[in-house]
Amino acid sequence: MKIYWTTINGKSLGMYFLLGVLAILAAAGLYATYAMFSQGHYITGMNNQIPWGLPIVVAIYCIGLSAGSLVLSALSAVFGQKEFKPFARIAVFVAALFLVGSLLSIVLDWGRPDRVMLPFLYLNPRSIFSWNGFLYSSYIFICIVYLWAMFTGRDGWIKPMGILAVCWAVGVHSGTGAIFGFINARELYHSPLASPTFVVAALSSGTALMILIIVSTFKATGRFLDNRLITGLAKLLGSFIMVVLYFVIVEYIVRLYTPSTCEPTRFVLFGGNLYTYIFWVGLILLGSIVPAIILFNPITKNSIPWISFASLLVVIGVFCERLIFVLPGQIFPLNLFPDMEMTSSFMDGQITWYQVSLPEIAQGLGILSIVAILYIIGLKLFALLPTEARHLEHEL
Amino acid sequence: MKRRDFLKLGGIVAAASAVTPASSLLYAGKTTTSAIKYGLVIDLTKCDGCGECATACRIANNVATSPDNEKINNYWLRIARVKSKFPNSHEQAIPLMCMHCDNAPCVHVCPVKASFVRKDGIVMIDKHRCIGCRYCMIACPYKARSFVFKHNEGFSNPDVPKTMHGVVEKCDFCVTRIDSGRMPVCVESCKKGVMSFGNLFDPESQVSRLISSGKVHRVREDLHLGAKVYYLGL
Repeated sequence: MKIYWTTINGKSLGMYFLLGVLAILAAAGLYATYAMFSQGHYITGMNNQIPWGLPIVVAIYCIGLSAGSLVLSALSAVFGQKEFKPFARIAVFVAALFLVGSLLSIVLDWGRPDRVMLPFLYLNPRSIFSWNGFLYSSYIFICIVYLWAMFTGRDGWIKPMGILAVCWAVGVHSGTGAIFGFINARELYHSPLASPTFVVAALSSGTALMILIIVSTFKATGRFLDNRLITGLAKLLGSFIMVVLYFVIVEYIVRLYTPSTCEPTRFVLFGGNLYTYIFWVGLILLGSIVPAIILFNPITKNSIPWISFASLLVVIGVFCERLIFVLPGQIFPLNLFPDMEMTSSFMDGQITWYQVSLPEIAQGLGILSIVAILYIIGLKLFALLPTEARHLEHEL
Repeated sequence: MKRRDFLKLGGIVAAASAVTPASSLLYAGKTTTSAIKYGLVIDLTKCDGCGECATACRIANNVATSPDNEKINNYWLRIARVKSKFPNSHEQAIPLMCMHCDNAPCVHVCPVKASFVRKDGIVMIDKHRCIGCRYCMIACPYKARSFVFKHNEGFSNPDVPKTMHGVVEKCDFCVTRIDSGRMPVCVESCKKGVMSFGNLFDPESQVSRLISSGKVHRVREDLHLGAKVYYLGL
């Protein structure tokens, strides 16, 4: 089957309206960032006990989203699932965009973003951040070369580039998990499972987001989309959710069992605080169990609205997973004197809550809006979308 | 030797020479050849937690303070109060600062090498290189580091640099005082003689004698960080 690739028209009233809303959000985000630097970072929710807040959550969430979309493209190029070829270009493009979004979120979270080139000048081979600076930037480059190979019809390049991109994606996401997993000081970070959990959660959220993006883009631009392609992706998503759930269960059971990590783990799982609800309701119930029921139930598993709903839940559920990943490890105090009670004027030994601030929310939404604007511009400039997405059996 | 074998051998040598330095970069311990390694011994049996060292530290180092928002007050030195969980237990005041680890996690994680261990063992921050990513604050198990949350105009001590908005700061053993032959201000300001500062390599120094008593402990020794702040009576 020959696939014809086209750009979008992009001149409808709805499109202008959408672009206008996104531009306002992006401007608000940039203004919030400016305010952080001109007034000071005290206007954010972070403090000396919680140095990493929402921007880091958004950053690692965006990195995760980029993985799953790349895998979608690799399905046809590397794993021989030829029926997914209509999504190949859009998937790589979205992967690169979300990486741009995450880099924006990381750099704008720094105290001194004007020193953005320094990590490239002074590499520290023991720093995971240094590795990630290299991995993220080269990952964007690989995505661009991969897209170029697809656009110029260099079929010989596509498979090697696809394999390289998949390997790189595993490195990028393991590296992101390692930011937390390598930290010995914090009981809720230090874990060899952090990297693998990050990879599978990335696959799950990325696949879910791609389902949402594909269904909405094809519908909005009036292109034919074969239901069987989406149900195929939904099957994949169902298995990813199960793997994430398994990894989370293993991680938390080990932590509960170990006396030194039991207390902070109980704080998250049974503390009756906001993070308890995010864990049980957001991640476990709405993020894993409900979508799994939808995706494995014979009545709903072939219905596009149900699959889209499940995908939306997964996208939210993985965001909850990221929150649980980043925040409770800082909210729960460091254990300087085990089995002792400790107090000081520097918030030692006491739980300090993270109160998310308006500038941080505006910045996060602004960055996501920039990603969306770039996506629409990309669709308009480059022939990323097929005229129609049919399952291969149609031509037989 | 055949040409092919020669090339093979050359390739192996090249690969090995590339791998060896790479693996040594990842290795944790680094030995310094310096004859000086500074350390601090804090005698907790003498400390009553009056907090004069903390006040002196704040003034001498231009530590960023924010009277109107306690949550973003920075601390280079703080007095922690620690007691056991049983009733009627004695509350011990413990001055806490940067422990100046040999295997400092903050130095390991810094993506720009703005944090570094000086040859004499002092862990320092180059505030003109720090990008403010705060990864070191995540990695430090002692909570020794603070982020400067806003621009500060005044400074209390013109001999040391002013704070800089957007970078991380912490105790540097009053490095400018040490380099001009003086003691850290916390040591000097304590009227009870709680703290002793000196060269750990010098067998005659007060710190070495106190450490050789065998009664000293460090905070979180289980983390194997090679901290150089020792406590008597911990």
